[in-house]
Amino acid sequence: MTPKTASGTRTLPPAAQVEQELETRAFKLSEWMAQQGIFLFTAVLVLFAVVFIDGFASLPNLTDVFNRAAPIGIVAAGMTFVVISGNYLDLSVVAQVATAAVVLIAVTNAVGLVPAILFAIAIALVYGIVNGIAVGVFKANAVIVTLSTTFIGLGLLRWLTGGSIYFGESDGPIRTFGTTRIGPLPLAMILFIVVTVLLSLVLTRTNFGFMVRAYGSNREATRLAGVNTPLVVIGAFTMSALGAMLGGFVLAAFSNTAVSSMSDGYDFRALAAIIVGGTSVFGGRGSVMRTLLGVVFVSVLTNIMVLSGLGFGFQQMAIGLLIVLAVSVDALARKTRAA
Amino acid sequence: MTAAADAPGGQVPSDGDTAPVIEARNVVKRFGGTVAVDDVSITVARGEIHGLVGENGAGKSTLMRVLAGVLAPNEGEVHVDGALLDPGDTRAALDAGVSLVHQELSLVPEMTVAENILLGSTPTWSGFIDGREQRRVAAEALKEIGVAVDLDEPIARLSVALRQFVEIARAIARKPQVLILDEPTATLTPAETEYLLDMLTRLAGRGLAIVYISHRIPEIFAICNRVTVLRDGSLVASKGIEDLTPESVVEYMVGRDLQLDRESRRQDPKIGEVVLSARGLRAPGVNDIDLDVRAGEIVGLGGLVGAGRTELVRAMLGADPRTGGETTITLQGRTRRIVSYRAAIAAGVAYIPEERRSDGLALTMTVVDNIALPNRSALSRAFVLQRRRIAEFATSLAEAVNLRPPEIHREVGQYSGGNQQKVVLAKWLGREPDVIVLDEPTRGVDVGAKVEIHRLIRELADQGAAVLVVSSDLPELLELSDTIHVVRDGRIVGVLSAGEAEETTVMALASGQREVDAA
Repeated sequence: MTPKTASGTRTLPPAAQVEQELETRAFKLSEWMAQQGIFLFTAVLVLFAVVFIDGFASLPNLTDVFNRAAPIGIVAAGMTFVVISGNYLDLSVVAQVATAAVVLIAVTNAVGLVPAILFAIAIALVYGIVNGIAVGVFKANAVIVTLSTTFIGLGLLRWLTGGSIYFGESDGPIRTFGTTRIGPLPLAMILFIVVTVLLSLVLTRTNFGFMVRAYGSNREATRLAGVNTPLVVIGAFTMSALGAMLGGFVLAAFSNTAVSSMSDGYDFRALAAIIVGGTSVFGGRGSVMRTLLGVVFVSVLTNIMVLSGLGFGFQQMAIGLLIVLAVSVDALARKTRAA
Repeated sequence: MTAAADAPGGQVPSDGDTAPVIEARNVVKRFGGTVAVDDVSITVARGEIHGLVGENGAGKSTLMRVLAGVLAPNEGEVHVDGALLDPGDTRAALDAGVSLVHQELSLVPEMTVAENILLGSTPTWSGFIDGREQRRVAAEALKEIGVAVDLDEPIARLSVALRQFVEIARAIARKPQVLILDEPTATLTPAETEYLLDMLTRLAGRGLAIVYISHRIPEIFAICNRVTVLRDGSLVASKGIEDLTPESVVEYMVGRDLQLDRESRRQDPKIGEVVLSARGLRAPGVNDIDLDVRAGEIVGLGGLVGAGRTELVRAMLGADPRTGGETTITLQGRTRRIVSYRAAIAAGVAYIPEERRSDGLALTMTVVDNIALPNRSALSRAFVLQRRRIAEFATSLAEAVNLRPPEIHREVGQYSGGNQQKVVLAKWLGREPDVIVLDEPTRGVDVGAKVEIHRLIRELADQGAAVLVVSSDLPELLELSDTIHVVRDGRIVGVLSAGEAEETTVMALASGQREVDAA
């Protein structure tokens, strides 16, 4: 191959000399596990459930599993942006989901559905911008910042609502959304799939998503390429906030009620789905579609435990164990890559 | 102490005063394929200050780390007091009395002076720290080197010079026979340097053997009894100071065939108006710099590692904060002040940083993604990336820089150093930059890729770009540059045109052996 801008009298080294420049990397189990493991594990788990668990392989059970997974799945899809940007996670989704749910029902009751949605969007933007500025501009640690905004948000919500439960109108649009099915498929599940596909396109196909991935892969190189990196971080947290808002809407619609404590554990369960899906906590690697796969895995696992009669305590323990395993494999893969 | 019985046969001189306390015999140290130290033997006697000099990358620091047991040599051995030292055993070297004062400061900023001096050998009593003993030993060591500093002051509150002295006190507290210092004056002011040199002379007077690494020739001649010169890992001279002159040392350091490859220089380049200009630039490590780069001109920044060249270009482009001065870029008669790094990029600057792996590339991303990064806006429509256009764009650039093999969907991290550097160049070439700043553009790059990178740099200049190159590789600097600015201690100490620049003149200016007379 002759470079098209070749000039001058120097001769280039013959191709044969430089041909095998690419490293041929030895197969590394940890790396394979971190990147491809989820496909195998999901397949094995589903197969196991189909064969051994009574009542798993029925259409009503499967749609129910996916439908229940919708709120956490949408939250996780949004939070994936924060994880890929290399900022670990957004703990404040706990506060955001509950706030969006309460706002949706309480403001709809008082004023109407459209003002409720607009108000919730405004709140989501505030969360995204506040988290984003603290982390992206002031370079504060994301875990501590979002832990703090969780406290602020939940505290504010409990203070204003007094911890009361809000009930939606029994024939209102929220109730309708929560119960409607298109054919056999619940509307919430369809929304979950649509949001996942959309966010996936944003991450892989848009300029913004590209900068999020580049920033997560190497902050300094991205900054030196002329990218406005604080804005990238603010954008990632805003995507997370919008996902949490939608997740809160769906959660509220399921029961047509909202209360400040309804989203306990959402931070960790969303993180579980993201990490199990193979998105790296070190940033730069991962995708929204992987998060979807992680949601499927965690949901099926939970469903198996429920159908086997294992209680909430056991489920919680299992998910904790799963995260420890997933992050350890992730770290191990990163170490072997660096070696 | 280890293997005390292993005495060298017939090598001990009769005169007790000049008996070598440390001796390296035929040391070879390889890193991968490159030989950092090639069959070097040196001896240092009690009370001697032994200067070790050489260009960047000559192998000085590697040799010192072998002496101090930090690195195990591939061949050869180190003897202390006639006893063989366990290779690569830092603890054994310390016990035998070899103390290394590190080039990068290795103190714990949050801890006090006393705690730091005893770090690693903190005196304890049944597991509890013996604070009184700690303070006693620390005070004694500080007294030994003649530095007064509060034992309870946290390191973070001390000046750089005082930290350097605490570092030396830490080495002295171990009661060494041999003290090794690696560029201890790199961050010191002239007055502080003088204090340090006096201190070392005093310590040597009390019988300590000192190995002193420095780029700075005047310091070597101020204190050393003997000088060993390394070049490309080999020992080229080891002589008493009385048999050397500053000029001869520089010649030994540069050494290689001084006949330049003149043909590879650009033949009458077309140089236009000033494009990139800095006035009164100040930043940490940068002292009041004025610098101009013209259209079509390649300006080289020469100097020693740590002279402030990287700091200079980063401050110039706004990549790091400045404390004073300004940078302007003039294109088509329009002058713009560069107030931020992003403004520099928007004005048409391309910056290839020194650390390609940490600052230049997103290693876990593909070649195409890395190339797209600075060009993403031009390659997207309504925020959506035009993937086919990006792939075509990256393919043509990969071809222009001769990426081998040209697999643009591979992760960059899987390519060799030379190819990675080509990707860094490719990502900026796509913007057709008017100003291009390259920091060590061919470091860690194989010879073939180096030739191609030089060709690309010349082509950019031929097309009218203003090019600024930082290079510690002297032949490269001389070959590429139309004008060379030599930087020392954050100042430009000499400006040489392509015709008058020789390796020895650049080296002499960079090391302070020749004072500002060429400017």
